Amino acid sequence: MKNLSATSKAYLVFVFVVLYAPILYLIFYSFNSGGTMNSFESFTLEHYKAVFEDSRLIVILLNTVIVALLSGLIATIIGTLGAIGIISVKNKKMRNTLLSLNNVLIVSPDVVIGASFLILFTMIGIKLGFASVLVSHVAFSVPIVVLMVLPKLLEMNTSLIDAARDLGATKRDVLVRVILPYISPGIFAGFFMAMTYSLDDFAVTFFVTGNGFSTLSVEIYSMARAGISLTVNAISGLVFFITVLVVVGYYFINSRSKSTGTEGHR
Amino acid sequence: MRELIQATIAIVIACALLFVVADQMQSTGSKGSANTLTVFNWGEYIDPELIDKFEEETGIKVTYETFDSNEAMMTKVQQGGSAYDIAVPSEYTVESMKEDDLLIPLDLSKVPNLNNIDPYFLDLAFDPGNEYSIPYFWGTVGIVYNPNLIEEHLTFESWDDLWDASLKRKVFLVDGSREVMGMGLNSIGESLNAKDDILLRQATDKLIELSPNVKAIIGDEITPLMVNNEAAVALIWSGQAADMMWENEELNFAVPKEGSNLWFDNMVIPKTSKNIDGAHAFINFMLDSENAAQNADYVGYSTPNKAAMDLMDPEVIEDERFYPSEELRDHLEVYENLGLEWLGKFNEYFLEFKMSLR
Repeated sequence: MKNLSATSKAYLVFVFVVLYAPILYLIFYSFNSGGTMNSFESFTLEHYKAVFEDSRLIVILLNTVIVALLSGLIATIIGTLGAIGIISVKNKKMRNTLLSLNNVLIVSPDVVIGASFLILFTMIGIKLGFASVLVSHVAFSVPIVVLMVLPKLLEMNTSLIDAARDLGATKRDVLVRVILPYISPGIFAGFFMAMTYSLDDFAVTFFVTGNGFSTLSVEIYSMARAGISLTVNAISGLVFFITVLVVVGYYFINSRSKSTGTEGHR
Repeated sequence: MRELIQATIAIVIACALLFVVADQMQSTGSKGSANTLTVFNWGEYIDPELIDKFEEETGIKVTYETFDSNEAMMTKVQQGGSAYDIAVPSEYTVESMKEDDLLIPLDLSKVPNLNNIDPYFLDLAFDPGNEYSIPYFWGTVGIVYNPNLIEEHLTFESWDDLWDASLKRKVFLVDGSREVMGMGLNSIGESLNAKDDILLRQATDKLIELSPNVKAIIGDEITPLMVNNEAAVALIWSGQAADMMWENEELNFAVPKEGSNLWFDNMVIPKTSKNIDGAHAFINFMLDSENAAQNADYVGYSTPNKAAMDLMDPEVIEDERFYPSEELRDHLEVYENLGLEWLGKFNEYFLEFKMSLR
């Protein structure tokens, strides 16, 4: 921060205000006893109480978190191995093709992905519900993980692997003891990206929910017709709080692993 | 490597715990009955207590899902994959679902509470004899306005008030070809189902005269604008108007006397149903006067249930803006299925009107 000029500081503050103001505004009104977002009357926790009393909403919230965590985990495993696979392709043309294919999935519209999943699932007879949502979330998260892990792999010096080989490491040892530890920051970043993608995805999820399984984004969207109540503010506040917790947790894991990491190399 | 494994284990354990909690919460209320019912309804369109009450009374476990548009609902029913036992489409969707063979005919002997429904709302053109559908809530299309932001003489008893010169750039319209074209046709004294090029031409010309007054043609964003006193006049459905008026008491709603649209949302049993008896039981339960009154009280839309109206707050029932008198109701029309060709023409004329906006 010290070497930033006054203008850059002001700009930075501006950016953060733009990013956070809507969320804080929304959370602020979740404590409003007035029942609307027009004017703040007095402080109340009744909207939070309403969330906890509506067991259907809580189940949906839990489902959303479960899907986010699990799909993030599975996508991270697949994506990491995929990235290692792509990087080990020596043919430049082939590698670029694979990367482009990966990027196409990131830029293709959610609606298209959602509709194709719906058609696929109904065609092969998978019942819509938890499994279908999980599978589609894993699918659209994998390319993101690949993209997060790749830079770490690219910056890794290949002589590290050669050295390990020379010292008698098997293929498995190289993967587990050299590559994975080196790229683990990328892996964690990939996991958190995948998780946030899963949390806020509406379009794909909308197509593949069914049989009583729903996620928060779909549920909130369907409330639009009859009017969104402050309960939605409260639940959004809760989600924001959970996300902050996860990020703080990630920060601690990160800083701890860094300190143990240096000790290990002594 | 160790922290990768630790993190993985932590995530798996967290998921397992959350899963157990969610499962526990889902199964409370009705224990271990294989008898389930999946209800597919608009968001915020039922009092959740009624679901609990239904589960207690019948022992049937209800899975409740929501949708946000008729088209989305129909797509999911068409695709199969989820066993919906009850859906609540609007009247024109009932018609197209019927045409696409997506509905199961009702066994009216299993819904004795049908007697509670006002006969005015039964046996309508979109479903003669109520073979497939039973009305759930109904409403009109009208004008919501903020008396503080417009001149006093405007009461919107007639559509022509919208054309008043004092409303320059103050009118919001919903983005629906049938609603707007219907208003145009009504304002020249014609049926909103008119399949006649000359009439549609006249209606469009009249609408184009309105264009200096039109501020925007939008959707759900009208609600916050009206509530926050940022908009003066809007063409909107009565249900949405009721929401606005509940949040902002200044607002008023009027259905012009030349006529307007009468809309319905209806309970139907889609072809995907696996519990047809349960679905009938649910419909009958919702038609019960006490339950219907409780539901109308919670949702705030107009109920077609005559017996329920006797149990409700007389102030609500006597509000002619939402429960129009029979005399006024005679001027209301239900949308007929226009068919693709005429629907296309409605859209074309609506587009022409939109393009006339400056």
